[in-house]
Amino acid sequence: MAAGIHRRTALLHPLSFLPREAISGFGRDRPRRQGIVMKRLLSSVTDGSGFDIGLVLLPLAFLFVLSGLPLVYNVVMSFQEVDMFSLGSFWRPFVGFKNYVDLFSQPETRTILLNTALFVSASIAGQFLIGFGLALFFWMNFPGASWLRGLFLVSWVMPGLVVGAIWNWILSGDFGVLNFFLREMGVIEGNIFWRSDPHYSLWAVIIANIWLGTSFNMILLSVGLSGIPKDLYEAAELDGANSLQRFFTITLPMMRSTIGAIIALGLIFTLQQFDLFAGITSGGPNNASNVTQYWAWDLSFRQYDFAKGATISVIMIVFVMLASVVYVRSTRHEVRG
Amino acid sequence: MGISRYAMLGAFALASLSLPALSASAEDVTISVWSLDRDIQPAPNLINDFNKLNTGIKVEYRQIQFDDVVSEAMRAYSTGQAPDIIAVDNPEHALFSSRGAFLDLSEMIAKSSVVKPANYFPGPLASVTWDSKYYGIPKATNTIALYYNKDMFKAKGLDPDKPPQTWDELVEAARKLTDPAANGYGLAFSAKANEEGTFQFLPWAQMAGGGYDKINAEGAVKALDIWKTIIDEKLASPDTLTRGQWDSTGTFNSGNAAMAISGPWELDRMIKEAKFDWGVALLPVPQLDAERSSAMGDFNWAIFSSTEHPEEAFKVLEYFVSQDERMFADFGQLPARSDIAIPPTGEPLKDAALKVFLEQLKYAKPRGPHPEWPKISKAIQDAIQAALTGQMSSKEALDQAAEKIKAVLG
Repeated sequence: MAAGIHRRTALLHPLSFLPREAISGFGRDRPRRQGIVMKRLLSSVTDGSGFDIGLVLLPLAFLFVLSGLPLVYNVVMSFQEVDMFSLGSFWRPFVGFKNYVDLFSQPETRTILLNTALFVSASIAGQFLIGFGLALFFWMNFPGASWLRGLFLVSWVMPGLVVGAIWNWILSGDFGVLNFFLREMGVIEGNIFWRSDPHYSLWAVIIANIWLGTSFNMILLSVGLSGIPKDLYEAAELDGANSLQRFFTITLPMMRSTIGAIIALGLIFTLQQFDLFAGITSGGPNNASNVTQYWAWDLSFRQYDFAKGATISVIMIVFVMLASVVYVRSTRHEVRG
Repeated sequence: MGISRYAMLGAFALASLSLPALSASAEDVTISVWSLDRDIQPAPNLINDFNKLNTGIKVEYRQIQFDDVVSEAMRAYSTGQAPDIIAVDNPEHALFSSRGAFLDLSEMIAKSSVVKPANYFPGPLASVTWDSKYYGIPKATNTIALYYNKDMFKAKGLDPDKPPQTWDELVEAARKLTDPAANGYGLAFSAKANEEGTFQFLPWAQMAGGGYDKINAEGAVKALDIWKTIIDEKLASPDTLTRGQWDSTGTFNSGNAAMAISGPWELDRMIKEAKFDWGVALLPVPQLDAERSSAMGDFNWAIFSSTEHPEEAFKVLEYFVSQDERMFADFGQLPARSDIAIPPTGEPLKDAALKVFLEQLKYAKPRGPHPEWPKISKAIQDAIQAALTGQMSSKEALDQAAEKIKAVLG
């Protein structure tokens, strides 16, 4: 403890930009009482609770300026009438819940909200299941396992728009590679128009998104797996538990917080997924693959209806906040432990 | 090109080094110009030439990306940092002129000996007009027509010198030319859910007596029915719904589509890539005596009303206009003017195509003009997609679009 404080004052002394005499010599030539107050204040900043408060305030201020203000601005905008010429000013006519009412009276809103729900749940399910499978596979630690696992990250490293463009070709109806494989394997007779058939277009983006997010899931789950003490398994094995029992009674419970965190992060990442929609279907045909995040952009920057774009964002914020609560709750263990 | 780019970089470096010493003399007025033209396109080159004339006006250029033109311009204007001159896409022009963001140039044009409204095609001119005043000058123009593969016409027993003239002939020809075994479609066009879809469909509606303000007219419904026939019978790839014009025409160039509807911006690539004999025909009409129509694309010049130097800015525009004769030869763009005879390029396919496009331009109609064009366009795109995916009949879809558009038009 003492060592900790010592290091803290030495490295992070908040007044370390002042000469040493100035810090220690404050109040030397002043009336005694004032000197004591100053000293206390100062020492609380350097050593006591004042320093801690400073540590809390700094990131809070940072968060407020860079995340809080834009969020508030977005919420305010969703209650205003905004067009491109009033974009620069903050005081615009307030219209109450008009934007919300208008939005929900549009026929496509229901489709798009349902699409978003399907996109998020199917993407997360696919990414998680395949990611978990791969993580368990590489956990067997065969020669070259860690090396191969690293290679899987390539999909995560690639920019979304590039991934979108590549999948755009793969999924193309007439010349797509995917159709070619399915046809050669005898799965399908005629070509499937992944991008242009309203029954498939959302799945086209989901497939690409699963490919994109699987490796990230795998890496995080691998980390979680390697954190489970080996002796637990040894003990269970001695007690006669088979591998399935070991998985359900040791692996899964021990991974609970990791899984919660991954699903929450997955929810946030899939709700942010924009590039793939821009690259593959542009939300079409006829909104069959449109989701809220793409729609918000389309309204704001294609139709210049900034208020409605903001309104959708507010609705999405609510969902992301719910995900954040899950995330914080499931990682709480780690912080304490 | 590489060399000239380095030379320019060098010049910039030198200029910035010597800026304090050699900055433009005090009387020089600086005019800023924004457009999407790249180094091989008109704006930066014309500006270079203009600056060499030492007129006491110094022009600064900034290139913006196509997708950012409107949002950048809006942001700049609403925060008081707009450039003096900007190039905007013609359907967006009314948005700015109706809100007083662009300067009314009518008086200056009336006095000008260079800019004469009578010289322009009616379509482009209408797009800069708002409330019968001129708020800009057409920069260039383009339109769409029907490209067709003459070799394939011959192979399927069609006369390569008689391209389809009516909608029915078009569908009939497409049926004959479609060859699923050879991965070949009869027609390639774009019904994408963005401005390109509207750009391609509106001419069809207009030829049959419809228009954006009467999009559910009987003729427009028939036009959408024809589109639906083409998609349903797979005379065009189902990916037409999600593919832009450039990619669709790409399949024509590779021989996977026998006809394509697109514009003159395809010419250079087609000459390079298409390994067959091709021609261009006017857009087919509903019946032979029907009124012709076509889409009208490309950008307009405008001066922001916030400029401090309207006279000088107009002089710069006058210079641009005076160079219109170079547009096709130097930059491959069509000037929006009917008084300029474009000299032959020596490339027979290109020259023949140019003739058709110039003829087609006479019938080109602007989209709008209306300040809320993006919303109108969106309603039309939605209708096209709803009908082509079979979720609504053409009539229902266009009725719904008409209602949405009515709400916008007020």
